[in-house]
Amino acid sequence: MISHRDNNTQRIAALDERAEALKLKRGMGIADARAMHPSIDVVEADAEADRRLLEGLADWCDRYTPLVAIDGEDGLFLDVTGCTHLFGGERAMQDEILTRFFQQGFDVRAGLASTPGAAWAAARFHGDRIVAGGEEEALLAPLPLSALRIAPETRASLESVGLRTAGAVMAAPRAPLARRFGATLLLRLDQALGRLDEAVSPRLPVAPLSIERHLAEPIMLTDDIERLISRLAVALKSDLERRGEGARTLALLLFRVDGAVSRIAVGTSRPMREPRLIQRLFHERLTALEQNIDAGFGFDLVRLSVLSVAAFDMAQGDLTGEVADDDADVALFADRVRARLGEAAVLKPVVVESHLPERAVANVPFAEAPQRRAPAAGRVAPPRTAPPMTIYPLERPVRLFRSPEPIEVPATEIPEGPPMNFRWRRALYRVARAEGPERIAAEWWRQLPGEEKAPTRDYYRIEDSEGRRYWLYRQGLYSSASQAAPPRWFMHGVFA
Amino acid sequence: MLPEVDVMAMSAVARDTVFALRRQIAKIEGTLPERLQAPGALKAIPGKVRSGFPSGIAEKQISTDAAGSDLTIVRHGLAVASADAFLQTGIERLDTALGGGLPKAALSEIHGLATRDAGAVAGFALSLASLILKQKQGLPILWVGTAEIFHEAGLPYARGLDTLFGIAPGQLLLSEAPKLVDALWIAEEAARMTAFAAVILEIRGSPQRLDLTATRRLHARARNADRPVLLLRQAGEADPTAAPVRLIVSAAPSASRATIAGPLAGSIGRPAFKVDIGKSRTALPGQFILEWNPDEHAFAQRTENSVAVVPASGRRADPAPASGAVLAFPAGASPAAISPTAIPPTARDQPSRQQHPAHRGPRRAG
Repeated sequence: MISHRDNNTQRIAALDERAEALKLKRGMGIADARAMHPSIDVVEADAEADRRLLEGLADWCDRYTPLVAIDGEDGLFLDVTGCTHLFGGERAMQDEILTRFFQQGFDVRAGLASTPGAAWAAARFHGDRIVAGGEEEALLAPLPLSALRIAPETRASLESVGLRTAGAVMAAPRAPLARRFGATLLLRLDQALGRLDEAVSPRLPVAPLSIERHLAEPIMLTDDIERLISRLAVALKSDLERRGEGARTLALLLFRVDGAVSRIAVGTSRPMREPRLIQRLFHERLTALEQNIDAGFGFDLVRLSVLSVAAFDMAQGDLTGEVADDDADVALFADRVRARLGEAAVLKPVVVESHLPERAVANVPFAEAPQRRAPAAGRVAPPRTAPPMTIYPLERPVRLFRSPEPIEVPATEIPEGPPMNFRWRRALYRVARAEGPERIAAEWWRQLPGEEKAPTRDYYRIEDSEGRRYWLYRQGLYSSASQAAPPRWFMHGVFA
Repeated sequence: MLPEVDVMAMSAVARDTVFALRRQIAKIEGTLPERLQAPGALKAIPGKVRSGFPSGIAEKQISTDAAGSDLTIVRHGLAVASADAFLQTGIERLDTALGGGLPKAALSEIHGLATRDAGAVAGFALSLASLILKQKQGLPILWVGTAEIFHEAGLPYARGLDTLFGIAPGQLLLSEAPKLVDALWIAEEAARMTAFAAVILEIRGSPQRLDLTATRRLHARARNADRPVLLLRQAGEADPTAAPVRLIVSAAPSASRATIAGPLAGSIGRPAFKVDIGKSRTALPGQFILEWNPDEHAFAQRTENSVAVVPASGRRADPAPASGAVLAFPAGASPAAISPTAIPPTARDQPSRQQHPAHRGPRRAG
């Protein structure tokens, strides 16, 4: 028995058959139930876990249709339009769903109708019923008002005027109903009867292309999965070719026998349709995930979906049949590394128009890096990646630290001059030569109105007594005011 | 660790032993067996003979032996390979010592003694990459590193590479691996591709995973793909490695900026590197000071503060006892550094408008 807190009282939220046999009911106070049967077992409700379970079930129902939506706390909508013939008709499909859920240990009720509202009512008030098109009115007429998916207040006020069944509401004149009980009631009624379309919004975006294979014998080994992937990818290739597209994001769905679903996605830097390459990408991903995929008793349905596509540029091969394209090799390499080690595993530096050294170069994941493309027709704003104009080439270090590291500078020769020695990472360095300063001011146009003005930086090139060259900066200026904090020094990079 | 040119006076027994050993080494390495060459035949390979060799030994042996009986053994294993197989640094002495240059289709190790040398090591590797890119234009370079080294020594900074080495920002791909295993995997996968001009793998310390097997794998892939792999090791020990060449790089004080009126006192000029040969099949350990010319993208020999070459024993025992006279290498002709005396006095007194700001103390003051 599961309890939940409602209006400061512990009430029964759900209960099993044995508890029902004891004449306990939903909504009853726990204190009353305990008084009747002191030995009952009460568990606190965990809405979060319920939600997760329902999402897991929704994932699993993905095997029947890509359009699965979650309905409230305890329902799932499956839009099976065009899917039933794959399972041998409506009746066979519903039976299979019910059987499989029953085998997983769930008590499930299903209803199949041509409108979501009618299916909802059929599932909740009949348990296992298939409503043919046009029978919705007959189904709903004898059912109580709660079959209409309306708010409890509306239901209470309808009942107070003597309309106790859906049939009574249907028979009543529409205009006074709308005036008195609001538009929602009629909307729900029309939706249930198919006079208005109701869209079921699926949980996950529907993949443009999917290839799946049901397996009589569940597979467990990674090698088998990979072999299956390459077969599915071959089937996928012809579809992609027909559409003139290549896959940018691919997802592999592994449906476990006991209902768990693993979803493995890989991204590609350029549209791809070659089965061998797709298989290699998934090979890397599966290797990386080896520990995290629990095959359990095996997977009985494997689906390869293309989540996003892009136009595929055909390349002309030479006479040997090979397409010499080094960029494609690099892109594939980057994809494989990213499949195994994550999005940020291969970075491409992109120059940004900024004077601040740490902002002047952005390391973006390889796929997002601007690719060479033919200029689009029409007016396109030039990308703002050009470096700032300078008269002389700027002296910039070969390595830049992620964040500037504070250093101790005991003394400078002149107040605003370079340091004579400094301490960095607990070691003392003597400055042999220094060049600078190069003053870089903060970017005021990026500051928020209320924000304090960031201090300017004076950069110095320093060579220490052993010949190593560093890039230091002093943040702020020495001030005569005694309360002003002394400027701080930072190590920002090293030169070759 | 055999010298390219051995001038050794040996007893017949000792010679036989050495030959037997060398044949064995050649068999293990899979290189061609060496050939004996008479000193006269050596003249056919000009500039190869006596330069890469600590002159102390040569002097001693020539003095003790009769001129006709001194023997020269030339290791042909690497030297017979075509000059195309080597990346020439442009410094003749270093190239000769390495037997023609840095092998192009191979793994090469570049060591930095401490993490604080990371700038110099990175700079040296990038200058090599820049030399490679002269021949393989347009191809990208992949820089693989562990998260540790990128955190400790900083990420390569695209803005600095552009001006100094002519490597465009889009040409350098960075790959940061969380662990060493992943970094090795990425590097191995990249080393077998021909789409990269070079692969740079940067590791900190001396991890156990980076053993002979790991380096051998990298080396084999580099050889098959005909692409160089540079293994940068910061603060690492000189572990056993399959790389034919190991260089130890540290920073050298840079020369002052050259102006038309002579070097500008107190300024910091072009990048300079101190390169020790830590391991080479052809060279004895030696030290070189190189300077990178960012305008021509080429190495130059040091023109200022040139350090006399030591009969470098590196950090190990000297191969020969230091007896006999020590001869320095002939100093290389200094490339066009303009000395003050070479400037006509009028030009020195009145610098041109472009040069003028360089006279105002530290550059870019204010």
